[in-house]
Amino acid sequence: MAAAQRDPVVTLYRTLLVYGLIGLVILTAGLVEFLHFEPFGVTAGVHAHIAGVYLYDPSTSQTTGPDRSMFGRNEQFAGVVDWSGLPNSLTVQAIWYDSFGNIVGQAGPAQPSALGSHRIVPAQKPNGLKYHLPGQYIFAVERLQGDLPVEVLARRLVEVQRS
Amino acid sequence: MTALAQPTAANPRPRNRPARYVLAAVIAGVVVLVMVANSLLDYAFLDTIPGRTSLYGLIAVALIALATFIGVRAFDRDPAQRSRHLIRAGVLLGMAALLWLLVSDAFLFAASAGPEVALICAAACVPTTAFGLLVVRRIDRNEKEPWRLVLVAAAWGAIVATSLVIWGESYWEAIAVRTLVPGPGLDASRAFSAGLLEELGKGTAVLLLFLVMRNEFDDVVDGIVYGAAVGLGFNFMESLTYMTNLYSIFSPEGSGGIAAGFQWYARQVLGLFMGHATYTAFVGAGIGIARQLPSRRQKVIAIVTGFLVAIAAHFSWDAWLTFFPIETSVFGLVEVHLRTIVMTGPFTAGVVALLILGLRSESVALADQLRQEARAGSGAVLPEEVEILTSPWRRFRERLRALDRRGVGAYLRLARLQAAQLDLAMERWHRERQELDTPLEAEDELRGRILSLRLQAAF
Repeated sequence: MAAAQRDPVVTLYRTLLVYGLIGLVILTAGLVEFLHFEPFGVTAGVHAHIAGVYLYDPSTSQTTGPDRSMFGRNEQFAGVVDWSGLPNSLTVQAIWYDSFGNIVGQAGPAQPSALGSHRIVPAQKPNGLKYHLPGQYIFAVERLQGDLPVEVLARRLVEVQRS
Repeated sequence: MTALAQPTAANPRPRNRPARYVLAAVIAGVVVLVMVANSLLDYAFLDTIPGRTSLYGLIAVALIALATFIGVRAFDRDPAQRSRHLIRAGVLLGMAALLWLLVSDAFLFAASAGPEVALICAAACVPTTAFGLLVVRRIDRNEKEPWRLVLVAAAWGAIVATSLVIWGESYWEAIAVRTLVPGPGLDASRAFSAGLLEELGKGTAVLLLFLVMRNEFDDVVDGIVYGAAVGLGFNFMESLTYMTNLYSIFSPEGSGGIAAGFQWYARQVLGLFMGHATYTAFVGAGIGIARQLPSRRQKVIAIVTGFLVAIAAHFSWDAWLTFFPIETSVFGLVEVHLRTIVMTGPFTAGVVALLILGLRSESVALADQLRQEARAGSGAVLPEEVEILTSPWRRFRERLRALDRRGVGAYLRLARLQAAQLDLAMERWHRERQELDTPLEAEDELRGRILSLRLQAAF
């Protein structure tokens, strides 16, 4: 028995188990973080309506052309939200995320009635860059509790092509 | 009682293939199925790539045809040399699969910037990755792993593991962006995906080496070496991906080279050891420790724990990277280093601690076995050789002395002799711990080989 206790492999095994415990704590913390930002079963039971994503003219602040899901890097585009169907008891925002996960456009957060003049939400180019980043952009209408987005009421995925 | 007079093997097993080969075959079968699925998906996505795919595909087809021919010949025409032919056929099949996967990977990951940029990026990553492999192999100071296995491990990390995970991660991503709230929750989900899928993909290589190449997988030190080698291979392909991708993104802005260069530094210098090499080294450590544990329950726990730590370490980097934002100023350069050291440094230190413990335990055990062998008087290890064999530095000095006296040939002959003597000590150690499934005769054959090498070294 004493020989088994002196076995260095047992020391290694126990050390690994301690690491495993730390690993478990890390993964649990990750799960808690995930559940904090993505709470299950929290739903307002309403859906927002995204009218579409269109080419955008910054000089007139207006959209043109048909609803599209693909754009070139040098094209300006914007999402158009119909806020009218949402109850005024909610706090909502419309938000653009680029392919790196950066926020590149936003309207709100506010009550839907206060966002009537912000139907068009353009995606901005990142600071210092001449073109949009290529890849998948997410345009989401989110419901907030406090400062925290807890539910996506509507979502559009847009592909910005590399060339 | 002398070592030569031991009556039976310490842990005798039947002479047929051990049960672990069945497990290895099942795992390999699953890997092949996933690879076939990947190839079909690759075909669907790569059908617009002209010529080059067909060209490389033809080579793969030729290799498969040759392998089939040799395989059929082994069974039909030349049963006397069946096993040798089957091994050749297997090697050719493996080469064909690797070639196809490499082509798929190259197009999937590096097509964005074009072949010239991809080649330059690959050329930039080869020396650093080679340096990493050299260091990783050398840390096993008592018994270095064969280059062929270290390179196989790295190739698995670069080619097979990346292919195994790419579609899994793509599907996970496709579902996550359509269902989750963008932001930290989505980031955490992506981090779980990367940690889980990438470590499983990489760790499978270490597990297969453990199951199939047991003779070259001795303990925690070997596990760390193989795990880190797989990680370095994976890091090579990931560096290539990020460098080419960011080059293609930022080249229209006039800063493609800087973006690619920064990725090279972050992944091939700063993160060479503090990244994938560290994560997969934990998988290897778990498997290496399991190798020497007595009960099956403990073995399973050690292997699962190794994977768990690797997944957690990988997850923590991907999920919490955003908590350490980098300023776009000169201080940002300091922050990049600090971030890696703070976030991955503790895990790397954990691997190093296991490595030091493992090396120490291995050194003590080998010294003890060498002394026992010298006392047994078989002639395989002489009493005056024990102190030399237990010190890497003194072994090297002896080889240098041989080089000085009799040239390169003598150096190499002595190196082979020393390696065989350490192999014998390792064999004895495993037999004493009842960790072997080879018959005792293998040990005696090794003694005979050492005596023959000693004769050669004398001339």
